[in-house]
Amino acid sequence: MLISLNWIRDYVDLPDDLDPSDLAERFTRTTAEVEEVHPIRVAARGLIVARVVSLADLPDARGLRLVSLDVGGGKTVEAVTAAPALHEGCSVVYAPPGSSVAAYGEIGTATVAGRTSTGMILPGDAMGIAMAASEAIFVSDAMEPGEQLCPEDFEDWVIEVDNKSMTHRPDLWGHYGIAREIAAIVGRPLKPYPVANLEELVSDGLGQVEIAIADANACPRYSALLFEGVPTEPAPLWMQLRLGHVGMRPITGLVDLTNYIMADLGQPMHAFDAEKVSRIEVDWAQDGERFTTLDGAERVLTREELMIKSAGHSVALAGVMGGLETEVSEGTTTLLLESANFSPVTIRKAAIRLGLRTDASARFEKSLDPAHTVLAIERFVELARPMYPDMRITSRLSDGFPKPLEPITVKLDPKHIARTIGRDVPTEEMERLLHPLGFEVVEAGEGVDVSVPSFRATGDVSIEDDVIEEIARYIGYNVIPPTMPRVSIRRFEPNALHELEQRTLEYFTTAHPFHEIQGYLWYDANWLSQMGIDPGPCVELANPAAEGLHLMRRSLVPGLLASVAKNRFHFPVLDIIELGSVFERGDPEDWEFRHVGLISARRGKRVEQELYADLKGAIEGWAWERFSRTVAFVPAPPTPDRPWEHPQRTAEITIDGQAVGRMSVIDLSLRRVIDEHLTSWGIAWAELHSSGLERLDRPAEPIDGIWEYPRIEMDFSVIVPSAMRYQQVAESLTAFDHPLLKRVRYVGCYEGDAIERDRRSLTFRTTVGDDARTLVDEDANAFRRAFEEYLQTCGYEMRR
Amino acid sequence: MLQGVVDLVDIEQLDKAIAEIEADLTTRLTDASGVDAVRTLETGVLGKKGTLGSLISSIKDYPPEQRNQVGRTINEAKVRVKNLFQRRIKELESAATSAEAASAAAFDPTLPGTRGPMGSVHPVTAVQWEIERAFERLGFTVEAGPEMEEEYNNFDALNIPATHPARDMQDTFWLKNGKVLRTHTSPVQYRTMRKFGAPLRAIVPGRCFRYETIDASHENTFHQVEGLLIDRDISIPNLIAMARMLLEEVMKREIELRVRPGFFPFVEPGIEIDMNCQICGGAGCATCGQSGWIEILPAGMVHPNVLRAGGIDPNEFTGFAFGLGLTRLAMMKYGIRDIRVLNSGDLRALVSPARLGGPIIAPRKKCCSQTS
Ligand SMILES: [Zn+2]
Repeated sequence: MLISLNWIRDYVDLPDDLDPSDLAERFTRTTAEVEEVHPIRVAARGLIVARVVSLADLPDARGLRLVSLDVGGGKTVEAVTAAPALHEGCSVVYAPPGSSVAAYGEIGTATVAGRTSTGMILPGDAMGIAMAASEAIFVSDAMEPGEQLCPEDFEDWVIEVDNKSMTHRPDLWGHYGIAREIAAIVGRPLKPYPVANLEELVSDGLGQVEIAIADANACPRYSALLFEGVPTEPAPLWMQLRLGHVGMRPITGLVDLTNYIMADLGQPMHAFDAEKVSRIEVDWAQDGERFTTLDGAERVLTREELMIKSAGHSVALAGVMGGLETEVSEGTTTLLLESANFSPVTIRKAAIRLGLRTDASARFEKSLDPAHTVLAIERFVELARPMYPDMRITSRLSDGFPKPLEPITVKLDPKHIARTIGRDVPTEEMERLLHPLGFEVVEAGEGVDVSVPSFRATGDVSIEDDVIEEIARYIGYNVIPPTMPRVSIRRFEPNALHELEQRTLEYFTTAHPFHEIQGYLWYDANWLSQMGIDPGPCVELANPAAEGLHLMRRSLVPGLLASVAKNRFHFPVLDIIELGSVFERGDPEDWEFRHVGLISARRGKRVEQELYADLKGAIEGWAWERFSRTVAFVPAPPTPDRPWEHPQRTAEITIDGQAVGRMSVIDLSLRRVIDEHLTSWGIAWAELHSSGLERLDRPAEPIDGIWEYPRIEMDFSVIVPSAMRYQQVAESLTAFDHPLLKRVRYVGCYEGDAIERDRRSLTFRTTVGDDARTLVDEDANAFRRAFEEYLQTCGYEMRR
Repeated sequence: MLQGVVDLVDIEQLDKAIAEIEADLTTRLTDASGVDAVRTLETGVLGKKGTLGSLISSIKDYPPEQRNQVGRTINEAKVRVKNLFQRRIKELESAATSAEAASAAAFDPTLPGTRGPMGSVHPVTAVQWEIERAFERLGFTVEAGPEMEEEYNNFDALNIPATHPARDMQDTFWLKNGKVLRTHTSPVQYRTMRKFGAPLRAIVPGRCFRYETIDASHENTFHQVEGLLIDRDISIPNLIAMARMLLEEVMKREIELRVRPGFFPFVEPGIEIDMNCQICGGAGCATCGQSGWIEILPAGMVHPNVLRAGGIDPNEFTGFAFGLGLTRLAMMKYGIRDIRVLNSGDLRALVSPARLGGPIIAPRKKCCSQTS
């Protein structure tokens, strides 16, 4: 929201040497965040009022007109202007030759479109009214041509307050409320709000507007006043300038006046043509009802929308926008002025559903003070009387107030204040800090009673801690010295899953060269379908970020594959890890699991075996590191809705027979659809289910101890057909038993010129020893013979 | 006289034997490839049982009148042989020195170390771990919670009424099963209070989700760290001190704070803690919107309704909570200007080039391309 410092000065005597930026910083630290402070510098000199005598289009210059202007003293000048909406007899802000403004410098006489143009009709933006870029600013006919305009009215400072930082403060949505905070910040008094005394102005004989409110929760208060005589004159220039400075475009005198009060007090108002709206009924719309708002749009309503009706006929969308039909127009002679209070939820829902957020609805959403309805009408009368002496009040104040606000008194406990703020706050100090904000402080026994002003009592301040906030922010959060807390020691159950995830990530990024990425929680359905991947039953978002992003991921692999496809341009070797949540449909509840996804990709043909072995080795190392256990990789059929599982090369990863994940390589056909270039790559992936694994314990690792008698290592190589699985060979070795055998390990495999084609040599290393004596050559030879014999009975050829 | 003749013959034989020993030695010395071999040879010749050494013990076998001559002959031979050995040893030693010198010249300690490829954690994870360590040192438990959260935990338990705008479709991702993607880590406040009761010290790093249009500075998926401290005597100055510690721990330098009021339904009073912009140092830049301050840590005293929902008596215990913008902090620390890269899976934007190949020689300045 934009705040005009001139406007604030109406209510607080600010020091003349006040630095607006300094004030803004103090406001940020005390009340709400200021986003920007900037001066309005028009530097007006010599501006006068001019009246349009005649207008002529310039046929050779589209959009320009030649205007004849009465500039006073019987003088008429001609000027070329682009200002729209001029008409004969209207009065405008005119810069004669010799005057100056910051935007143009010295004004003179120029030749425009071949015509001599003397001075200029000053456009709105040159006066700091950005909303009226090239438009002329009209002034009251009551001002005489040639009348000098006050240069001070054009100068201002504008403070922009972040709307989000004051959504909880309905009182700050008008200048008077902001002025209250500023008064308290600078320590000067806030002037009373200037309103007319209606009692004095309204004669007893007048009637009232009938007001019927169907739902007091939706409309706690509805106040109205009738007038005769509709203002036709523009609002005073100072008012138009102020509205312009706070980002509102001057429109007509009447609209400007209600807008001014909205920006002044925060209370939106609406004027109906009283010929068409004679009584007020506040009630819900009919389902399917059609209603045309002021902006000319026809809207289809539901029973959720609150309407202002007159004789059963809808005339306004309550708190959002008036109706086109009952708009004040040229023929209007009598006005019904509405100043009402609506439920914030009702207004917000309507504004959102209809896609129609207005300045009014934005304010009603904040939960306004119902006391302001009448105050705003009194303010309207106060402002309108000097502006429009011809307007007459033709009714008594009509006020439907079915739901008065409960006054709030909060009890404060000095001990609680002290422990929260970090120091004692004596009652006098409390009084001194709270009084300028409208709170009344009364001592009550041990503590104090604080009564909350109505403009803070609509949800903003209701408990002790709310009042403590007021005290704390006026003492100053940056003033109390920070101190570390004094706390009690206690034990917390370790968060085993979090620990597991962290250690897992640490392992794969340090013991192995994986790079961590983080992806979105949802699949990209478009990408999946391009890949020909049917993701199966997914948990779904009701409001996805974009079309095709509605499926919650069931696996991390598609995201990892997408990352490989993206990175393959830049790196020939990719090892990527992601830890994250995946989701599964369930009955009755859907599930969320934590997974670890790993993918390794290498450019090159025939890299798959090595790639697979590397990844497998990394997982074996992880299982030992985390759980002191060996993992098994059990060949498994691929899952139908997971085409990234290779038809033949998919394995289930198990620990102690328990499935903990899956692993595979990406089939050529899928690599080809992802990216033609990936056909010459190998890609292996694994997905581990960390949820549940945190319950696995980590037994102490067995350690041999120091052996007293030396042990001997002997290597044995066997040649087997390449089609024979290692697993089969390894398992056959487990059946060999010998009193001297301590251990058999796998060393490596060899395929190449030294042996026949389609054969593979597997090398195993045996450790032999006797715990009671030193082995002699005969022992070693005997073992060698026995083991070789065993290998041969298994059908393996020995490699020498 | 026969004796004498024989004796003369014996001496001749001795000369011949010595000549043979010397000839043989010359060949062997040439063959000897190292000092050690020469020393072994030396023992074999000059040692007590050596070919020449053993001759000395045979002096007594000669007639007394010849012993002088025999002794002289043998000693002269010894001297000659010793010289042979010394010469060869010198030869070998000087050869060894020059070989060593040559190999010393080839040994280049300035060649880069060889290492395997390196992995990396995500920039957000790196900062998250630092924060976790800092708080663990202070006895905080590190908690987590589901990303798919119950509506009640995400909102009601945190004093966010059913009518609050945050619940609207335009702010929150809703699932068809009625749950939400948590909009903050704060529901874990509730979970943790329920789990441990008071007193309590916990931090909750985690991913959050808001329905937001993505651009260079807005993401719908981002990280926070929630902090929660509940005890018998907790104040706002305590909260501010903790915030300073946390931020300095991550930024590794002294920072300036600005504390101002802020509103969040689950705290009262609520504050916003700003940090002086680490990119411009507070002078004003695009990242801080020219203000010199970065909004980094919304915080406040836990609202009594939230304590009650968590099963904690607000009359006995109070506490503070904060929600640190972890993603933003990581961006500050690593000079990342476009938030979108964090979820892009693009390694160029996530991994330091030092980890993505061989040693970097040039440019010499810090390889943080995005900070410039
Ligand atoms: Zn900056």
